[in-house]
Amino acid sequence: MVTAEEIEKVAKLMRIEMDDHAEYIERVKKMLGYFDLLDKANVESEEIDFTIMPIENLRKDEFIPYDEKLIEKLKNYKGTYVRAPKMV
Amino acid sequence: MTKIGLEIHCQLTKLNSKLFCSCKADYREFEPNTNICPICMGLPGSLPRLNQKAVEKATTIALALSCQVPEKIAFFRKNYFYPDLPKNFQITQLNVYGPTSIGEKGMVNVEDKEIRIRRIQLEEDPGRLIYEGTSEKTQITLVDYNRAGTPLVEIVTEPDFDNPKQVRIFLNILSDLLENLGVSEPTLEGAMRADGNVSIENGPKVEIKNIGSFHDLEKALHFEITRQESLSSRDIPIAQETRHWDDRRKVTVSARTKEEEMDYRYFPEGDIPWIKIADARIQKLKEDMPESISSKKQRYVTQFDIPPQVADVLSSDKFYSDLFEKSHDEKNAKDIANLITTDLMGLVDTREKREQSKLKPNHLQDLVSAIQASRITRTSAKTALQEMVKSGKSLEEIIKDLDLGKSDEGELEKIVDEVISQETKAVEEAKANPQTINYLVGKVMQKTKGKADPIITLELFKKKLS
Amino acid sequence: MKIKQSLLEYIDNVKNGSFTCEEFVLETLEQIEKHEEILHSYISINNKAIEDAKNIDKKIKSGEAGSFYGAPISIKDNICIKNSKTTCASRILEDFVAPYDATVITRLKNQDALFIGKNNLDEFAMGLTTEFSSFGPSRNPWNSEYVPGGSSGGSAVAVSALECLASLGSDTGGSVRNPASFCSVVGYKPSYGLISRYGLISYANSIEQIGPLTRTVKDTAFLLNTIAGLDENDNTTIDNHNDDYLAEIDHGIEGKKIGIIKQMMGEGTSKEVVDATNEAISKLEKQGAQIQDINLETVDYSVAAYYTITATEAGSNLARYDNLRYGYDFPLEGYEFNSYISKARKKFGPEVTRRMILGGFVPSAGYAGRYFLKAMKVKNKLTREVNEAFKKVDLLISPTVPVQPFKIGEKIEDPIALFLVDFNTVTANLTGKPAISVPFKVTNGLPIGIQLMAEHNEDKFLLQAAYSLEKDTKLPEVPL
Repeated sequence: MVTAEEIEKVAKLMRIEMDDHAEYIERVKKMLGYFDLLDKANVESEEIDFTIMPIENLRKDEFIPYDEKLIEKLKNYKGTYVRAPKMV
Repeated sequence: MTKIGLEIHCQLTKLNSKLFCSCKADYREFEPNTNICPICMGLPGSLPRLNQKAVEKATTIALALSCQVPEKIAFFRKNYFYPDLPKNFQITQLNVYGPTSIGEKGMVNVEDKEIRIRRIQLEEDPGRLIYEGTSEKTQITLVDYNRAGTPLVEIVTEPDFDNPKQVRIFLNILSDLLENLGVSEPTLEGAMRADGNVSIENGPKVEIKNIGSFHDLEKALHFEITRQESLSSRDIPIAQETRHWDDRRKVTVSARTKEEEMDYRYFPEGDIPWIKIADARIQKLKEDMPESISSKKQRYVTQFDIPPQVADVLSSDKFYSDLFEKSHDEKNAKDIANLITTDLMGLVDTREKREQSKLKPNHLQDLVSAIQASRITRTSAKTALQEMVKSGKSLEEIIKDLDLGKSDEGELEKIVDEVISQETKAVEEAKANPQTINYLVGKVMQKTKGKADPIITLELFKKKLS
Repeated sequence: MKIKQSLLEYIDNVKNGSFTCEEFVLETLEQIEKHEEILHSYISINNKAIEDAKNIDKKIKSGEAGSFYGAPISIKDNICIKNSKTTCASRILEDFVAPYDATVITRLKNQDALFIGKNNLDEFAMGLTTEFSSFGPSRNPWNSEYVPGGSSGGSAVAVSALECLASLGSDTGGSVRNPASFCSVVGYKPSYGLISRYGLISYANSIEQIGPLTRTVKDTAFLLNTIAGLDENDNTTIDNHNDDYLAEIDHGIEGKKIGIIKQMMGEGTSKEVVDATNEAISKLEKQGAQIQDINLETVDYSVAAYYTITATEAGSNLARYDNLRYGYDFPLEGYEFNSYISKARKKFGPEVTRRMILGGFVPSAGYAGRYFLKAMKVKNKLTREVNEAFKKVDLLISPTVPVQPFKIGEKIEDPIALFLVDFNTVTANLTGKPAISVPFKVTNGLPIGIQLMAEHNEDKFLLQAAYSLEKDTKLPEVPL
């Protein structure tokens, strides 16, 4: 299941360049293998539960300008745009 | 048998702040990257703060589209990498753990057809991209995050449309409805976008994305139907895929490889609890909803005896119906409605004109009274209206300034005599064929610059020529 | 030696003029200077520390100082301090200067705490030993060949080695309690939602919390009073009704029921650790607690569930590190978007890269049902089991870590062995319950901590129980 091609596909999905995909196979295989333990947990019928918050506690709809020149504290901006590499 | 479905994105421009932070919801007036904060920039350690009114407004939309609203709503992450996406994931909604998006299973009537709404979800808009430079080496993408985090409502329909014309009518109805609800101004640039999907003869569904405007949508749909029919007639199988609309070449282009590689790894957004809206609050939202367009139309027809076509125009445009509601009373309703939908229309037919208009409800009231009391002709009224929109002056001031008062009878008779003596040929014709008297009436109107009462003028001619 | 006191003792002394903040800070800086080359608990030191101390001394003189009186606190380097470098021990953020303060920082600043430096950690808090820091590991002050635990290893070392009075770390699967146990200090993971995560650089946001590391339980309670509570900047914070965690902390545990988690005392737990835990249980029994066994079956699956969920969330939380708005110097000319960011993200260390790969697998379309969804269901089942347990008992007890500290490099090659170091601690994170590690014993020169867990939002009660456990415990001094 865990082959160099699979690792390469996932690395691409996660946008991480790797010199040697095969290097990661063993460890990732072990880790995923360990996760197979979940099959024995007998949880088919479990529901998913979450914390609930009433709508009243949510933020009020007010425009509050962020009062610092935030863009100047970040890198890569030109004029006031942020620069990114071209899209193909 | 063509089937078309839509995916519409509508910005909630009437909100004050973004979906997850307090930056301004309407970003249009800002210099690039000046409507930002750590949250909508996706800075490390920042957390989303959900906007209460956004949830309410989205719920109102769901109710207006006759959707079922769930007990609790939840948010999920859609993970992908793009320069306009500050966190490289979008916070959106799904219905994977039961119904958790803001609404589902609703419907809208388009003429006789029922268009079913599959679901409505609340999500954030990404930033905007500009491409700089032309040469291969210096091409840089410029990113403006002012729009990142703007609240969006995504409306997904079932593939119930039979043809692109229905789609157009639906989008107009939807646009009017959203404006009427006071949640969005759909005519703002970029406030409403739509993608579509097309299938013919129960074949595979083709998604079409990257559509810039409603106008483009109609073109894209027509093209795609033609393309599929052409393939089908040659027995070539139609691929189930995503295609992009190429606005330059006016064709749809396969985007299959790009889309197929997308694995969004959806999972619940841990920074936002599930939100419960109590039944009582939903009830109140229902009660506080502005009157629907169809309800207004019906009321205008039955209560004020306004003709259906006039009621149609009046009710479906929020600017007009607001004006009507504020200026009419039991007696002048029909006349006000008429004035708005005829003489006023041309004066306020764009967003810019409406923003600059100085017309007030009492202007219309005064005008209609004056017309009813025969103090001013209809033609002069039109001129007065123009001036009211331009300067906001009162009717009395305008009548004085522009000398719009009705011609008095004595004056009028003199002018009628004048015209009779000048237009001998027309007089002969009129004696023979009474229909042609209107030409002579027109001459009088010309001479009086519209201040003559056309009915009295006509009577005078009739008397004098008989 | 001034620096050898608790946070509360410091405050008392400064208040009554035994010494000034500046004097204390100077000694602290000397201690850091003396030991940092070996211990490496800090990534950066506040170079205005003396200036800050002088300013606070002025405030103390005029009676305007906040409740911390300039106490030097260190902060794990994944918590944002405005205008300070916040690196997460990663090359990808090695130049990142945070433009805003985390809520906990704001609250501490308002009380005149003094920030002495940023502590070392496993890169992006992913790890158990601080060996995965891109800037070199921290070392255990009890024996510098041994790991201090992680991921808040630097914090635990600094507190244990008297290089600060207290530290704030973060706990996702045991990252505060584990190093606290390994370094013989108190480590606290509050109820989920008790302390705002605004400004904590996210790793697994649905289960992590900022947590204090201190020398005494009272110090933790005192810190909690300042930093805990509802924050409008974090939608997941809960209302703690302004609980005073220090008041009645010596209430005692007479009549309280304590459950021993069976699964956490079994195979895999070293004999020394079992013995220490039994001693701790006896001690509590002598103070009037009633002891029983508790069976939590799903604990056996908790580690698998934990790493599946955290890999998923981490894969998403770390997606924003595309080096465009913040990061390190790497010009983008000549690159296409996807290849640029892929190359930029090559700077993640090997463990983070592994977690990213896992985080790409387990929630992906092909595998989500098998891994991620199952893990969520295990989390649910575990929570129900623990809730049931708390109907029978008031507290749950176990060793914090199944083993004592091990040598640097010993477990780093075996991912599963490393995972299992978390075996006792992830349950509290998955279920959102508060848990604390109380230093209890030192065997063969290596520390052992005992873990107590309570129901959600029962933090005040948990601290009372921890205080009872800590009371009269005689521990050796750290051999520095």
